[in-house]
Amino acid sequence: MSSEPDLTTRAGKAGGPSRPPGTYADKLAERLGSGSLIGFVGKLIFLGVVNAGWLYAVLTLLPFGAWLPIAVVTIATAALDFIYLSRYRVPLKFLIPGTLVLLVFQVYPVLYTGYIGFTNYRPGNNLTQEQAIDRNLRDSVSVPEGATRYASVPLVEAGSPEAGELALLLTDPDGELFLGSEDGLESITEAQIEGEGAERVVDGRFEVLPLRIAQDRQDEVLALSIPVEEGELAEGVQADAISVQTFNSAAAAVQALEYDEATGNLVDTTDGTVYEPIQGTFTAEDGSTLRAGFPVVVGFSNYQRVLTSPAIQGPFIRVFLWTFAFAILTVLFSFVVGLGLALALDDKRLKLRRTTRSLLLIPYALPSFMTALIWQGLMNTSFGQINRMLGTNIPWLTSQAYAGALPKFSVVLVNTWLGFGYMFLITTGALQAIPSEVKEAANVDGASGWQTFRQITLPLLLVAVGPLLIASFAFNFNNFNTVYLLTGGGPPIFGAPIPVGHTDILISFSYRLAFEAARPDYGLAAAISTIIFFLVAIFSYIGFRRTATLEEIN
Amino acid sequence: MALNPQQAGGTEISDAAPPTFDYKQQGPKGARWWRYVGWRYLVGLVGIAFALMPAYFVLLAALSPTSTLQGSQMVPRDITFDNFAALNETFFWTWLRNSLLVAGGAAIVNMFLSAMAAYAFARLRFAGRRVGLLTILLVQMFPQLLANVAIFLMLVNIGQYFPAIGFGTLLGLFLVYLGGALGANTWLMKGFFDTIPRELDESAKVDGATHGQIFVKIILPLALPILVVAGLLSFITLFNEFVLASVLLGQADANQTLATGLTRFIGDAFAQRWGPFAAGALIGSLPTLLLFLFLQRYIVSGLTAGAAKG
Repeated sequence: MSSEPDLTTRAGKAGGPSRPPGTYADKLAERLGSGSLIGFVGKLIFLGVVNAGWLYAVLTLLPFGAWLPIAVVTIATAALDFIYLSRYRVPLKFLIPGTLVLLVFQVYPVLYTGYIGFTNYRPGNNLTQEQAIDRNLRDSVSVPEGATRYASVPLVEAGSPEAGELALLLTDPDGELFLGSEDGLESITEAQIEGEGAERVVDGRFEVLPLRIAQDRQDEVLALSIPVEEGELAEGVQADAISVQTFNSAAAAVQALEYDEATGNLVDTTDGTVYEPIQGTFTAEDGSTLRAGFPVVVGFSNYQRVLTSPAIQGPFIRVFLWTFAFAILTVLFSFVVGLGLALALDDKRLKLRRTTRSLLLIPYALPSFMTALIWQGLMNTSFGQINRMLGTNIPWLTSQAYAGALPKFSVVLVNTWLGFGYMFLITTGALQAIPSEVKEAANVDGASGWQTFRQITLPLLLVAVGPLLIASFAFNFNNFNTVYLLTGGGPPIFGAPIPVGHTDILISFSYRLAFEAARPDYGLAAAISTIIFFLVAIFSYIGFRRTATLEEIN
Repeated sequence: MALNPQQAGGTEISDAAPPTFDYKQQGPKGARWWRYVGWRYLVGLVGIAFALMPAYFVLLAALSPTSTLQGSQMVPRDITFDNFAALNETFFWTWLRNSLLVAGGAAIVNMFLSAMAAYAFARLRFAGRRVGLLTILLVQMFPQLLANVAIFLMLVNIGQYFPAIGFGTLLGLFLVYLGGALGANTWLMKGFFDTIPRELDESAKVDGATHGQIFVKIILPLALPILVVAGLLSFITLFNEFVLASVLLGQADANQTLATGLTRFIGDAFAQRWGPFAAGALIGSLPTLLLFLFLQRYIVSGLTAGAAKG
């Protein structure tokens, strides 16, 4: 592509008319695929920010040894640099930003969901194996009764009280002095301490933590634990660490657990109990477990539980069927109401049609989370407006009778209310698109109004709005907001050991398993999400085929 | 209803099918009018009453002096703005700001990313173009909310290294919302870009313009209406989003969006806070309601092109 014709305009814009065409900067810009100097500078700034971000990310990740994230950000950055510095690959220049966020925040989570569904991921075992062992070892540090106590003074690296390393000046009951830091314990003498009181400087390296900082770093101070080697403390004192107890005292603590590298087990040295990692949880023979664990792949066990475990299978089937019923009934009712209104109001002789249309659209235009919450208030049994108006005491959202039939009705009613405006909108549009000659011809042929509607209007209408009805079904299949914000999934199904209610649909069921259960179960929740993925895929496929058939008829 | 059938059949709306025959020629006047026109008003009125009933109650509760529903009347007698004032003592304004920032910011970025992709699909020919379009159609069938557990764990992990964008941050939620950039909106925009005459690009190209310049200087200005529609649809969707916000934002009060925050308002002590909730609901509804009513025509075209809501 030649850049000759507009070089002068470009130069004029970028640096004034005196600039000769084809300066070095312009040539470089062109070589790098930019048409103008402004575009080129913009691109450089963009890539500068990207690469600075990359550097920051890598420097942050390196100390953790997080190689996989480093690889991901490096590849992404290299791809961006490569694509935007090239003269070619124009399509990629336009596609790559959206594609990157799509991959990271949509495609990857979907695949990750599939993986989690095959694990026993739970809040209790969400660490890596190393982290879990480390956590358990640290958790087992405790101060035994009658342990040696130390007077302690919190210290901080001299010169940088806000962020410097913390340390302790320890005095044991015999008056011996120690300096404890993260690296360990060292014996010191009075001579190494200069100054008095709050002005003391220890070993020339640490100063007393100033009071104004102590407030902010209180948590850090209280979490300090100084590792101790054997023989460092006074004779007869058994300790693996010295733990801070209060702001000015510390105590010798022992670590009960030890890691046995050969077997991978954790062993309690006080009583000899062996904790073996069973499915990622350190378990003793008597069944007692340690707090920190790690997730392991458990194969199809989550799916097996959904299908065979009596505690889960029963509720799951109910929820499964209700999800279909909820989505179908919602689409059906809101379509019928919307179509009815569209048929009635689509008449030139009516006045104020535009106003009517706007008013009917209000339920649809209001934020749906808001209206669900509003309906929750209106349908409240004891002080809801609906019961007040009717003078009744009907438990719209909480009745247990007939497997929660009334709350189910309420949920569908509210969802119909939310959706009929949309249906009114699309059916009005579709009705107006049907040529009037068709209906006139039917009229001339002596067809009744109902016959015209049944044989001509409705089929033509369905061709037009069919795909939208399927999309609406797919949306309502996962309409979390209406269900969760109206009833919270309730009323609860009695006897189920997991949180599940009569109006729960699959997505709210999965959400509650992961975030509301007494023992949250990410693996099971992800397995149910995966099942929803497959269901959505199946009826989307059927939907598209059906639409194609409908179009062929036309 | 005082209606003059002679005037019915107004001229303000032209897009409707004309009536097929003149009802004035059949039967006695009043009955004829009722049979062909009158009942339609009745249906319309019932429909409007059904649509507005909850909104009316909320208005009542927001303006009524007592904060419970029990005290509110069908017709307000004492109108007070106490409930609106009471919002100042809550986190309401913080939540509204959070929602507007996160949903608004993500909607704008999404709109731009989507427009870039749409330009590539509409104007460029490259290997994998068809597959790319189909993939976008496929991916958007699996909404992000289904992967809420995975996204939650992902952000917890990210937070270990980068606390600023990890679990419990609005910035993290914003980034997650960007994941939906390519989707129905890309198709919507591609359809619109296809209608912009290619001759415009061609002549610009002859003048030496690059694709970047054509995109920014020709396509974007001409496609402004569809950009606005796509941005608004995206904003409305994200403003309404509850699952990911509730999963990713943690417990801190100041950290919530309007959707997760207002839920807390009525969560425990519903009766006590109904008044402020109603006032908050009215204010919180205004952004999307006004956008919707003013831009109805544009939004409708966008909606019928693929996006769906309850």
